[in-house]
Amino acid sequence: MSLTFTVGAELDPISQPSSLVTSVMYAGASTDYNPLHYDPDFAGQVSPTGAPIAHGMYSMGLVSRMLTAAAGGPERVADLQVRFSKPWPLGTTATFTGTVTEVTGGLATVEVTGTAEDGQTILSGVGHVRV
Amino acid sequence: MALNQSKVGTAYPAYRYEVSREKIREYALALGETDPRYQSDGDDCVAPPTFAAAFTLTKGLMALLGDPDLGAHPALVHGSQTFRWGERPLRPGDVLDCTPRIDAITVRGRNEFLTSVVECRFADSGELAVEGEAVIVFLGSAPQDDADGAQDAAQEGAA
Repeated sequence: MSLTFTVGAELDPISQPSSLVTSVMYAGASTDYNPLHYDPDFAGQVSPTGAPIAHGMYSMGLVSRMLTAAAGGPERVADLQVRFSKPWPLGTTATFTGTVTEVTGGLATVEVTGTAEDGQTILSGVGHVRV
Repeated sequence: MALNQSKVGTAYPAYRYEVSREKIREYALALGETDPRYQSDGDDCVAPPTFAAAFTLTKGLMALLGDPDLGAHPALVHGSQTFRWGERPLRPGDVLDCTPRIDAITVRGRNEFLTSVVECRFADSGELAVEGEAVIVFLGSAPQDDADGAQDAAQEGAA
């Protein structure tokens, strides 16, 4: 069921726990095998948190899933831009939300945010949906 | 060592990517996608939008970072990512010609920001399929003279 895109409308949010399983699945699916995302020994040396963190692209993929579901399919998603501002540690839940901020010329603008368990923003960005 | 500024504007050789049904399924499964078209055996099968990550970020970006004259180093994080999609989603059997290029190298504090773009076109029609733009943050390699605002820049990028 797709969203009616009017200014102020909120997308159905996604809350997703990250884990070694989600990380390994995304590594295989995306072919991004950086061990930072699943190898505790390697991550212990290079990770900003000292432990494995989720792929940034996994978080962007979840934002895209939220946006695509609201839009009614991938053919309606025109663009998506996100900035990765904090790591998403494995073993924690992140919540992704989106709000429609403008509808003009056949395009709806959606501002998106990813928030960690501790309230910090891990991701922010903007997408456009063909309406 | 700093990145080589003269590389801005460089395009790298195009590579070909063929979209397969099984890879679409695998990608959709990893994201918990529920649109049945992603798992379809039929002609209605399409790829989720960020499926483009599977062939622009690894293959495309690696081609560019592997340039020995660029000066890339392993202390890097993915700062931001943009995808601009064409008029239709990718489908199994689509053949894409993907061209990586360097659009910008900027400095903030001690960090350098490399903007790389991979432009992917349908091999048969030449129409745009998807364009992926990644900003990669190289930590600590900017020339010392540009060290203003190093604290702000240290907050950039996390994934």
